[in-house]
Amino acid sequence: MELNILHLYPDAMSLYGEYANVSILRRQLEAMGVTVAVKTAVFEDELSFEGVDLIYMGAGTERVQKLALEALRPYADQLKAAVDGGAAVLFTGNAMELLGASVTDAAGKEWPGLGFADYTTVESDRRDPVDVIAHSPLLEQAAVGFMNKCSVTHGVKTPLFDRLTLGFGNEAKGGAEGYVDGNVFATHLTGPVLVKNPELLDLIVRRLFAAKGWELPETVPAQPHQREGYAVTLRELSARIKG
Amino acid sequence: MRKRLAIAACKVLRFVGKLIGRGSSLPGQIALRLCPDILGRLELPPYVIAVTGSNGKTSTVEMIASILTAAGRSVVYNKEGSNQIEGVATLLLTNATAGGRVKGDVLLLESDERWAKHTFKWFHPTHFVITNLYRDQLTRNGHPEWVYQAILPALHADTTLVLNADDPLVSRFAQGRAPETVRWFGLDECSISTKEHHGVYHDGARCPVCGAPMEYGCYHYAHIGHYRCPGCGYARHATDFTATAVDLKAGRLTIDGKTDIQLAFRSIYNVYNILAAWSACALAGVDETAMAGVINNYILKNGRMITFTLGARKGTLLTSKHENSVAYDTNLGYIESQPGPCEVMVIVDAVSRKYFTGETSWLWDIDFDRLSAPQVKKVWLCGRYVNDLALRLDYTAVPPEKVVLRESISAAAEELKSSGDLPLYVVTCFSDRDKLLAHVQRD
Repeated sequence: MELNILHLYPDAMSLYGEYANVSILRRQLEAMGVTVAVKTAVFEDELSFEGVDLIYMGAGTERVQKLALEALRPYADQLKAAVDGGAAVLFTGNAMELLGASVTDAAGKEWPGLGFADYTTVESDRRDPVDVIAHSPLLEQAAVGFMNKCSVTHGVKTPLFDRLTLGFGNEAKGGAEGYVDGNVFATHLTGPVLVKNPELLDLIVRRLFAAKGWELPETVPAQPHQREGYAVTLRELSARIKG
Repeated sequence: MRKRLAIAACKVLRFVGKLIGRGSSLPGQIALRLCPDILGRLELPPYVIAVTGSNGKTSTVEMIASILTAAGRSVVYNKEGSNQIEGVATLLLTNATAGGRVKGDVLLLESDERWAKHTFKWFHPTHFVITNLYRDQLTRNGHPEWVYQAILPALHADTTLVLNADDPLVSRFAQGRAPETVRWFGLDECSISTKEHHGVYHDGARCPVCGAPMEYGCYHYAHIGHYRCPGCGYARHATDFTATAVDLKAGRLTIDGKTDIQLAFRSIYNVYNILAAWSACALAGVDETAMAGVINNYILKNGRMITFTLGARKGTLLTSKHENSVAYDTNLGYIESQPGPCEVMVIVDAVSRKYFTGETSWLWDIDFDRLSAPQVKKVWLCGRYVNDLALRLDYTAVPPEKVVLRESISAAAEELKSSGDLPLYVVTCFSDRDKLLAHVQRD
């Protein structure tokens, strides 16, 4: 069992320790007997999605996010073809915005997106960094994490999380957040979201197994300390809501 | 009239506030309400020195104050670190005459990065020292470029910028300015420099101006070093105040090739703080001998490093800052450079003392691999977020058998007290350090 991960632009789009998402995913897959190859790419590289099973990108500054968008736009059609061919996509933080129709920066300039969906994002000079508790029909337990955005995303028809009990959704406080379509996952949660959320890690792993036509082992291994860490964060954030 | 009233009110409130142990921001807040443009209507000392940046503000300000005071200048400064506009108003008004003349030869201000533009809307510093821009408290600050944008409107054409030439994010503040309004400090390539980048992430990997991959002649630490962008030519500027040699093992720093300084604390960030303070004081007209006399073996009073005894162990607490990987890395680097076997304790219990967050992404930006040094015999992980710490260390070269998990800080302290005699280094934040210090005997 072999699986290929393409980590896009880690030298630029890893502002909050996002590289750890790839690290833990790799380890989890390896614990399940998968041989994992991770390739990274910089803006100047010529991209190929041939044989790639998962494409990951994390968060960057607003300026660098536009550089990432410009670098990736010439490959939008190839990326779509890869997804149609069964590849999964996980974009976290403001990488999520790239998948939409456009991103308008704080100066009012509109940057065309990759066009996976028709949602649009508008940045402003106001930033609302905030802790998050998010609920998704795809997950039994709440997801936890942090959001560090200065933008509002309009028109997501298929959000990943249908409501937040803590944090800002795509368009509103507490509202729906992220985007999901088949195996394309996007969320504005920043940092190592798969480290913080064992169930989200599990979901991605299951989808990758299914896409490959592999059978899941009867028991899925647990990363040490991960569930305990998740429980503490959920407890602390939940106390915050009540408090 | 309103001006006189605001000054009087501020003085009275501050006097009463001190009696009842209140903080320093309320009097200024009320004065600003009485007279919103009060800060623009004061007569200021001939030198107004502001210091901002992610790390080193408090230490740099303390050293500038010590040097200037020793040189016979009368300095008005915000010792208590209340660096937002209300605190600055309190400081200025309580040190002003009834007519609004701020006493002293030098006004010295530690300035919060995000608040500087509000404070300096009303008056402009003569000198603005900017130490560095790091990933620091991103749960409040967003990211270093966001902080850069927040500082920009605080920098006026009539202010002389005193910039860290080795930080590509800071040097960008000089862009578009008249060259004579910028002075530079930095380190020559020296014993601590490396050809390779060290650390988990590299915030200088790409040019902050054009986005092309940046080239480094050498690194001092993190993204601090000698950089040049082959794309647009953006490059480290020649320095006016230079550390020409640094020997951390011998604890010696040489400034401008002629003044040797003994370092009480042998850490690279001490070198930069000294250099920043040196530059500011030189620009304020203090001569080198006077500066060297104060800085030589200078021990910071702000207590970032605390020594103690715990049972048979000698302990050293290195105050770090949670949500600030560079602060952690410099402290871990210090531990790594110490000879002899030791144990290390890392505590993450409350991420911040000022606000709530459960955010621990920053742990992944810290270079914990440094704890795999052979002389580090045991690593104690403590506090509420002990699992997040343990998971992070699982992705380093630190052997798992060296790692001990103790959620309870007091239980860990008891255990350390009753067993073992190896020296203990503790790395944690202001928010958590008292939870351990309550159990030790301070030197």
